[in-house]
Amino acid sequence: MTSYTKEVISDLIAGQLPWPQTRRIMSTYKDEDRFFKVIEVLQERVPWDDPILLPISDHLFICQSGSERVTKCECGHSFGDYRRNWKLQALINVRCTEASLREIYPNNDIPDPDWMEIREFICPDCSTIHEVEAAAPGYPIVHDFEPDLEGFYREWLKKPLPEGPS
Amino acid sequence: MNTPIVIGIDAGGTMTDTILVDRNGHFKIGKAATTPHNEAEGFIASAEDAADAWGISLEDLFSHLDVVLYSGTGMLNTLLSRTGRRLGLITTKGMEDMVLMGRGLQAWADYSYSDRLHAVTHQHPDPLVPRRRTHGVTERIDQFGDVIIPLYEHEVAAAARKLIDDKVDAICIMTIFSHVNPAHEKRIAEICRQEIAGAGADINVLTSHEVRPVIREQSRLNSILIEAYATSRGRKQLRGIEDASKKYGFRYGVQTLLSFGGLTSINHPRLHETMISGPIGGILGAAYVGKLIGNDSLICSDMGGTSFDMGVITRGQTRIENEPLMDRFKLNVPTLHLDTIGAGAGMILKVDPLTKKVSLGPESAGSDPGPICFDRGGTEPTIADCDAILGRLNPDYFLGGKVKLQVEKARLAFKEKCADVLGVSVEEAAEGMIDMLEGDANNALRRVISGQGIHPSEYTLLSYGGSGPLHLAGCSKGIGFRDVLTFQFAAGFSAFGCTTADYMRRHSVSIQIDIGARADNSELTETANRIDRVWRDLERAAVEEMLADGHAREKVRTVPFLMMRYTGQLEDVEVMSPIPAATNADDMRKVIDQFETVYAKINHRVSRYGEAGFTITELGVIATADKVKPLLVKRPLGPSNPAAAHKGTREAYIGGRWHKADLYEMDLLEPGHEISGPAIVEHPATTLVIDPQDRVFIDEWTLLHYEHA
Repeated sequence: MTSYTKEVISDLIAGQLPWPQTRRIMSTYKDEDRFFKVIEVLQERVPWDDPILLPISDHLFICQSGSERVTKCECGHSFGDYRRNWKLQALINVRCTEASLREIYPNNDIPDPDWMEIREFICPDCSTIHEVEAAAPGYPIVHDFEPDLEGFYREWLKKPLPEGPS
Repeated sequence: MNTPIVIGIDAGGTMTDTILVDRNGHFKIGKAATTPHNEAEGFIASAEDAADAWGISLEDLFSHLDVVLYSGTGMLNTLLSRTGRRLGLITTKGMEDMVLMGRGLQAWADYSYSDRLHAVTHQHPDPLVPRRRTHGVTERIDQFGDVIIPLYEHEVAAAARKLIDDKVDAICIMTIFSHVNPAHEKRIAEICRQEIAGAGADINVLTSHEVRPVIREQSRLNSILIEAYATSRGRKQLRGIEDASKKYGFRYGVQTLLSFGGLTSINHPRLHETMISGPIGGILGAAYVGKLIGNDSLICSDMGGTSFDMGVITRGQTRIENEPLMDRFKLNVPTLHLDTIGAGAGMILKVDPLTKKVSLGPESAGSDPGPICFDRGGTEPTIADCDAILGRLNPDYFLGGKVKLQVEKARLAFKEKCADVLGVSVEEAAEGMIDMLEGDANNALRRVISGQGIHPSEYTLLSYGGSGPLHLAGCSKGIGFRDVLTFQFAAGFSAFGCTTADYMRRHSVSIQIDIGARADNSELTETANRIDRVWRDLERAAVEEMLADGHAREKVRTVPFLMMRYTGQLEDVEVMSPIPAATNADDMRKVIDQFETVYAKINHRVSRYGEAGFTITELGVIATADKVKPLLVKRPLGPSNPAAAHKGTREAYIGGRWHKADLYEMDLLEPGHEISGPAIVEHPATTLVIDPQDRVFIDEWTLLHYEHA
C-alpha cells in the first residue's frame, strides 16, 4: 500500500515538493491514510487547539469547538455553525464598477459590470481573502458547499466523527 | 587465444556491459553496475570482469587494444539533473517565447498512457535557458532565403553585452529559416565574438545552422541548446574514460557511437549526436547477425532492467527517425528508429489495495537500490524478485555469483505487498506478474510488426539484453515469427553491435525540390546539377571532419543520400544514392528508381505512387571508414545431446506448477545441441528459461534458436 511520511505530505500542502515527485504521487494509487495525515499537518499549522474535522479552503476549516462545529479561519476567527453559509459573516468587497475591476485586471479586458460583479470574502480579523465569487448583480451570495460530515466520516473514512465535550 | 583488439562498452541506466573482441572475432563479455557520478569506475569494473573472463590483466588488455568504444549516459544525466552550463539565447524578434512554449507533445512525451490522458500531470520540461536570458533581435529571412528585414546590428550588440554581463558560459543563436540562408546567424555570431573579445570574456558561441541546417526551428533550437548545455560535462566523462584507459596502457583515443549508427572520436563537434547511442548498438548487431543467418527482415528486442526497446529491419532497410526525443525535448538528430515501452526486470510492482488492480512500473528499481533480492536496500517488489521466487534465477549464480540473491527476503516482501493483497498464493501471483510483463512486451511486438504491414512469418526475432532471454518465451509466444534467436552473449549484444560499427559522419541539409511525374530531360538534368552541387559541399565538410579525426583520405568512402517522398506525403524515406554523383537526366532517373525500390521494400510494391511526382526534402552525405569487427565463428554441427553442458536440476515454477528443470551452462553449449524444456540455461550475465515442451537448438554459429511447441 502506498504511504508517504508526514514531511512529504507537509511539503505537498505547502507546494514545496519538487514537480517530479508531485507527479509521481499524482500517478500512483492514492495513499489510504492521506486524509488523516493532511489533517495532522494542518492541525500543527494553526495556532488553536480545536480539532479540525474538514478543511474547506486553503485557510478555512470546519472544526470541533467545544460542543459546536464551526467554520474557522486559520487565525482563529469563527464564522459560526458550519451548516450556515460562512460568507454571510465575512467582510465583503464587491467590485461592480469599471474602476474597481480595472484594479485587478490592469492590462486585460474586463467584464461588463452591468452583467457581472466580483465579490471578495475577507476574514474580519486577519484580512485573508478566503473566497472570490463571480455572479450577476443581484444574485444571492452563493452557499458553496454544505458537507455531510457524519456520512463522510462513517462511510468513507470508516472512523467515528470526533465528538467535542457535550 | 589472441589478446583482444576491440573493447566495446555500453553503459545503460542499470548495468555497464563490456565486450572484448580479438583479431579472429572471438569475444568475451563482462558486466558491472553503472556508476553515474564517475562513469570511469563502472567502465573499469566492467572491463575487468571481461578481462577476467579472458584470463588477462587490465594492463595486458588495454596495452594491446586498437579500439576502445564507449557509449555512456553522462550527457543524459547532465540534462536530466539540469546541472549543465549557463546559457544565453539570441533569436529572431517575436520568437523569444519559443523556449517556454516548446512543442505541445513535449508536455507529455515519455508519459504512461494513463498519465497522457490526465492533463493535470502534463508539464513542459524545464527550459534549458531562462526567458530573461533570451533576447530577440530584429531581422527576418523568409522561406526562400531572401532577406525581408535586415539585421539590426545595434540590437545584437546590446543583447550580447547583456549576456556577457549575465556571465553566461555560452551564447546560442537561432534565427528563423537559417537552414535556408544562414547569413544573419553568421553575422550575429561575428558581432557576439567581437563583443566577447572586447569584454575579455571566455564564452562559446554556437549557431543553429552549424548544428544541422534542417527545417523545423524548435528541434534545431533544442539541439543547439542541448549541445551547449550538456556536452561539456559529457565530454569530461568521456575524457575520464579515456584517461582511465590510458592509465592501463591504451595508446589511442576513445571512440563513441553516433545515434545514426557510426563511430566518432570524443572530440566530435556535435557531441549531442551521441546521446541516444545505447540502444542503437543492438540494431547494428542485428543487421550483422541477419547477414549471417540469411534473413534481412529482423525484429530486435532488447530487454534490460527498465525498458524494452524494439527495432525493425525490413528487407535490409532500417528506418531513420529525424526528430527523436531526448528527455522530452524534440531534437533534430537523425537516429535509427526504435520503439520503446517501459518493461524490464527492474519494474516495480504495485497492487492497489482498493481495486486489486496490478500495475507494473513505470518506475524501475534500477541498480541502486535494485530489487529486494539484491539486498541493497530495495523495498519494492520487482519482476526480478518474481523470477528469483519462482526459481528461474539462480540465487548463487547472478552475475556469476557476485550478487547473492536473497530469495526468502524477496518472497516475504512479495507475499505481504502483492500476493496477500490479491489473496492468491505467492507462486500464482509472481507468475501472474511475469505474464503481465511478457504480455505487454508481446503486444508491443505485435503492434510494431503490424505497423510495417508485413506478416510476422517473414521476420526473425532477436532477443537480447540482460533480461531478454529470461522472458523470451512469453514475449514471442503466439506471434508466429519465422525464427526466434538469442545469444550466449545476449547481455552484451548492444556492446557487440557497437563494435560492428564503422567510423562515420553524416552531414545533411534541408531542401525542397519537386520533380513532376512527367518531368522531361532538361528538368531532370537541372535537378541533378542542383543536387550534385549540394552533395559536393556536404562531402567536403564530412571528409574534412574525418581527416581531422586522423583517418587517411584513401580510407574514407562517401555515399550521398536523399530523404524523399511522393509529393504530398508527410513522411520521408532515406534513399542511399546508387550513383556517386548526379550529372544528367539518366542519373536522376536512377535515383528516382532507387527511391521507388526502397519505398516498395519498406511498405509494399503495390503502394508505389509515382503519378503523384516526387519530392526531395533533404540531401546528405555519409562518410565512412572501416574498422576491425568481431566475427562469429562457424563450426560444424556436433551431436544433439547437450550432456556436456548439463550441470544439475532445480525446482522452477512454470505454467502453474513446479517442475524439475534441467540446468545448463550457456557457454558450454556446442553447435548441434538440442535442449527440451522445462530447462534453464545459465550464463553469468543472463538466463534463458525454456518452457515445458519448447525446445532450443544451437546452430553452427552457436546461436540459440528457440522453438515454441
